[in-house]
Formats: sequence, C-alpha cells, structure tokens
Amino acid sequence: MTAITRGAPEGPAILEARELSIGFTLRGRRLAAVRRADLSLRQGETLAIVGESGSGKSVLAKSFLGMLDKNGRVESGSIMFQGQDLARYTSEKEWLAIRGKRIAMIFQDPMTALNPLKTVGEQIREAAALHRGLDRAASRHAVLETLARVGIGESELRYRQYPHEFSGGMRQRAVIAAAVACKPEVLICDEPTTALDVTVQAQILDLIKSLQADLGMSVLFITHDLGVVASVADRVAVMYSGQVIEEGRVDEVFYDPRCPYTWALLASLPQLGVRGEDLYSIKGTPPSAFKTIVGDAFAPRNPGALKVDFEYEPPVFQVSPSHWARTWLLDPRAPAIEAPETVRRLRERMKRRESGASAASGGGGLA
Amino acid sequence: MGSYILKRLGQSLVTVVIVVVSVFMLLRLMPNSGYFTREDYVNMDQAARTAYLRNLGVLDNPFVQLAHFAGGLMKGDLGRSISLYPRSPVSSIIAEKAPYSLCFGLASIIISMSLGLGLGVLMARHKDGFADWMGTLYVTVVRAIPSLIWLFFIQLWISGLMGWPMIFYLDRPVSWILPTISFSLAGLGWYAIWLRRFMVDEENRDYVKFATSKGLPRTRVMRGHILRNAMVVLVQYFPQQILLTIAGSLLIESLYNIPGMGGLLVSAVRQQDNPIVQTIVLLYAVLGVLGVFLGDLLMAFVDPRIKLADCSGKGA
Repeated sequence: MTAITRGAPEGPAILEARELSIGFTLRGRRLAAVRRADLSLRQGETLAIVGESGSGKSVLAKSFLGMLDKNGRVESGSIMFQGQDLARYTSEKEWLAIRGKRIAMIFQDPMTALNPLKTVGEQIREAAALHRGLDRAASRHAVLETLARVGIGESELRYRQYPHEFSGGMRQRAVIAAAVACKPEVLICDEPTTALDVTVQAQILDLIKSLQADLGMSVLFITHDLGVVASVADRVAVMYSGQVIEEGRVDEVFYDPRCPYTWALLASLPQLGVRGEDLYSIKGTPPSAFKTIVGDAFAPRNPGALKVDFEYEPPVFQVSPSHWARTWLLDPRAPAIEAPETVRRLRERMKRRESGASAASGGGGLA
Repeated sequence: MGSYILKRLGQSLVTVVIVVVSVFMLLRLMPNSGYFTREDYVNMDQAARTAYLRNLGVLDNPFVQLAHFAGGLMKGDLGRSISLYPRSPVSSIIAEKAPYSLCFGLASIIISMSLGLGLGVLMARHKDGFADWMGTLYVTVVRAIPSLIWLFFIQLWISGLMGWPMIFYLDRPVSWILPTISFSLAGLGWYAIWLRRFMVDEENRDYVKFATSKGLPRTRVMRGHILRNAMVVLVQYFPQQILLTIAGSLLIESLYNIPGMGGLLVSAVRQQDNPIVQTIVLLYAVLGVLGVFLGDLLMAFVDPRIKLADCSGKGA
C-alpha cells in the first residue's frame, strides 16, 4: 500500500459529523438521505464535498444549520461544533445562536437568494445588526465596509440598490457579504459558482479564498465540479448515496483514490479522457433512497465488485493518517484490483510531479 | 413617469367612452313601449304616446341623443329619471343613495381587510395546522353556500339572539351592525385565502431560505420578508375594491332595507330608465378604470422592479 506522508500536522476539527443519519418522511415512506456519514472540517481549511445529485451533500450541509425541511430530521449520530452537539438541537432559539452567526451559508443561485423587494444593503444589514448587536448607523457602516471588502465598488450607491440592479456575479458577492458580515467561523458554500458565468466563477472562488484567509474561516464547499475542488479545496470528501465513502487531502483523493466509486468519478472527467476514445461514464443509477441498502451502495454499478460488497457494508480503512476510504478493496484479504487506466495515469502524473518537487526541495515525497 | 400617467389616463378615457357609448346605443335598441308603465300605455292613444316619447327625446336619432347626453355631461347635468323617480335629477338620486353604500362598504373593507389579512397570516404561519384548517373551512363555507342562505341566517338568528333590529334604521346605530358584518364576511375570506396563498408561495422561495440561514428568527422572516412580499402582490387590487364599494350590494341592501345603490342599476334597467342606467354605467366604468390605474401606480410604488415608463424603456 502506498501511503503518502507529506505536509503539516492537521489542525483540530471545528465541525465534525459522526455516524450522522438523516431521514425524510415522504408520503408515509421513509427516505434515507444521509446514512451514517462521517465528515470532519478542520480549523481554517477548505473541505470540498463532491458527489452526484441526490448523494445527500446538500442535506448534510443543511443539517449543520438546522435547516432541514420540515419532514426531515437527524435520526442518529452527532454533529460536534466547538464542543456542542448540534444534532441534539431542537428549538429555534438554540439554532439562532449558531445560524448565520457562527456558521453561515451561501446558496447556489444568487439570482434568487436575495429578496427582490428589499435593498441589497438592508438585507446584509439585518443580519449584521442582529448578530453583532449594532445600531442602524453602526451596522450600516459595517455593511458598507463589507461591500467594499467583497469587491462591490461604489458601496454607498450599491447599498441602496435592489437585487435586480445587480449582475449575477455582483449578487453572489452581495450574498457572500451577507454571509460573512458577522465573521462566521464556518462558511458553507452550496455550489456557489454553478449558476454563474465561467468568467465570473474564478473571481468568486478567489473572493471566497481571500475572505477565508482574512477571517480565518473554515470553508465547507459543496460541488460536483472536480475542477473547482482542485482549485479551492485542501481536502475532499466523496459522497455516494448518503454516505461519505472517501475523505482525504485533495492530492491523495485525486491521485491515489481507493474507492471504486472515486475511480469511476475521476475516470468520467472529460479533462482526463483520451482523444479518440469514448468518454467513460458510470453505468446504472444510484440506489433508491427509499430502499434499505445492503453492502456497498456502489456495488451494483461496479463491474469489479467483490462478493462481499453485496453482503456487508465496508468499514472505514485508514489509508494514511489523513486519508480514509470505505471499500473492501482495502481489506488485507481482498484481491489486488487495479484502478482503471485513466486513474493510473493520474497517479503517474502525480509521481512525476512529486519526484520533481522532492528533487527541488530535497525532502518529503513518496514513501 | 409623468408621460406614462398621461398616457394611461388617455387610455382610461377611451375605455370609459367605449363602454358608455356602447351601453347608450344598446339602450336605444329597446322597444319604445318600455318607457311606459302598463296602465299609461293602455290609457294613452297613439298620438299621446308619440307626444310623450317625443317629449322624452327618445324618438331623436340616437347620435343626436348621444350628443345631447354628452353636452349635458359637460355642464354637469346627468338628466332626469324617467320612470323610477319620475322627473328627479339623476345626480341627486345618486347623491342620496351612494353615501349609504359607501359607508357600509368602507366600514366592511376596514373590517374584512384587517381580520382577513390577519387570518391569512395566521393560516400561512401554521400551514396545515389548526388555524389553517379552520380558515379553509370558513372560506369554503362562505364561498360554497349561496350567500343568500347565510345572509338570511345572520339576519334572522343573530338579530333574534342579540335583540337587534332586523332592518336598517338610520338613527339606530345598533341596526348598522348586522349589515356591516354581512358586507364583510365574503371579503374577509377573500383576503385571508389570497394572502395565505401568496405567503405560502413566497415561503418556498430561495430568498427565504437565505434569510433564514442568516439567522433571522422565523417571526422576522415572516414579517420582514414573506408577508411584505406577499402583500405586494395583493396591494394592486385594493384601490378598485375600495372604489367599487359604492356599488353596494343588491342582496344585503334589500334584506336590510338600506336605501343604497345596490338595486338601483337593476331596477333602472328593468324599467328602461335610460338616464339612470347611463349615469351608473358611466360611474362604474370611471371607478373601475381608475381603480386599476391606481392599483398599477401603487404596485409600482411598492415593487422596485416595476418602473413606470413608456414602451421606449428597457424591457426588464
């Protein structure tokens, strides 16, 4: 097993989900949206959650703010945030001490996230005034500063404008301003660039990165764009049908993935395709969240699935101190199954980069 | 903005003219015998009938009559009633009746708006809860059961129960209560159901999610975002509802014997009292068009996305 040991000691977890299960009741049937998911967001880092639609990533993130829809609830497990278990919170009062103040969230579509009938400034101010206990003048001043900070020029004028007078990118900046106005410890970004122009995406990502550095925030980044992951995240968690199946540093997960699902996800990246060959795509569909899943949820779609994959759910195997995966392939008794060609090529690429880097710095590298 | 208002006023004027002229012309298609009471018709000979009709002016060319009506209108003369209140000026008939309808109408609007909107908020806040259920039940009952039935019920039972008079007396305020309540009930349900509906619509919007994620308490999200935005949709209907209260209610006014506007149009049409019909049509058309126009202005006032501009403005 090639374990990669590199880099600084990891910081303590600021937000940690353990064995978290979230279910919804839909027309009398129970839907398991998140199944015993483990996730840890560390102080000051950016953790990306990737996974296809319906894998439960947004639900997981919403549970950190107590914003599940009415028919959904945390069924078991814990969400530890600075010594408190958010999974036990039941009243709105408890959540108000966290929501927007210590954990803030920005949403996918900036075109609809702002109230069209209120001025942008007022929408940022109402949060700032509430959480920081500022009066109207002071909070207004703070908002003007925040607007300037997120790159909205002419902030006096922009403060008085309505959302329809803002472009998409500017609206997302305003949304970010509202989210960070109270200097939260954790910022959850739910696909913040999906709805934006490609040209604006990079600007927004840069803005989030620089705000993170300024405010020392930890960022949880939900996306299905692996390109975005590579450019913003320190670590990545891969979700499949309600479960986190692999978590590690970006280089570890991208260049040394261990789960067949992660392989498949990476192999289907258009950037990794070879000219003239068909692009890889994952066959089949994810299992229904209404059904009880036995064994490895990905097994039915995995051509190389082991017999055990259909019977027992794989436990967590530690690949390195910073990298773990849920797959029977990591069990010592498992046959040696190679990652697909595309993924191996990724690994080769990294090896070359690593050897170049170690030659230059004279240390670290591959063990 | 100024030019927009002028343009809209111009359009409104055209609408009113079309409505009034069409009704005016249609009235001239009615058979002349309608201008007589049964016994007058029998008692008069042909010459007397012709003389009577000539005297009324209904034998002239309809366009001449129209010009005559328009000319009178310019001088503030709406003509005189033919058969309903023979020889009385139409303006004084309306001036006498309208205040009753207007007073009951405005009082009931105040009641139905405040209670109805309050009920709507309550229903939206506790959607699928007890309040919502009771509110829906109320609205369904009020709308599904013909109003005559529950209006009768209110008049007979409640007046008996409370010992209040069964009909309206100008000098006994206690007799004003039941008609006012009767006037309010349907409107109350209307406001409640529409506000609830718009609030539920708004509640599912993304900006509500975002406002919640900012940490605003639910009451503040409800008041500052959901209610506010839902009212914007509703507010455009307020001016016409207020203005058209002048029309009164045929049913309620006849039940309680209120001398309001309610039955005036119907009886005037039935008795072929042209001057009254013309005037009322003119009045309702003006108020209706004005109501829509004011509603649009109000809408532009409360919704920043709406700009009052001519078509030359940017399409948003």
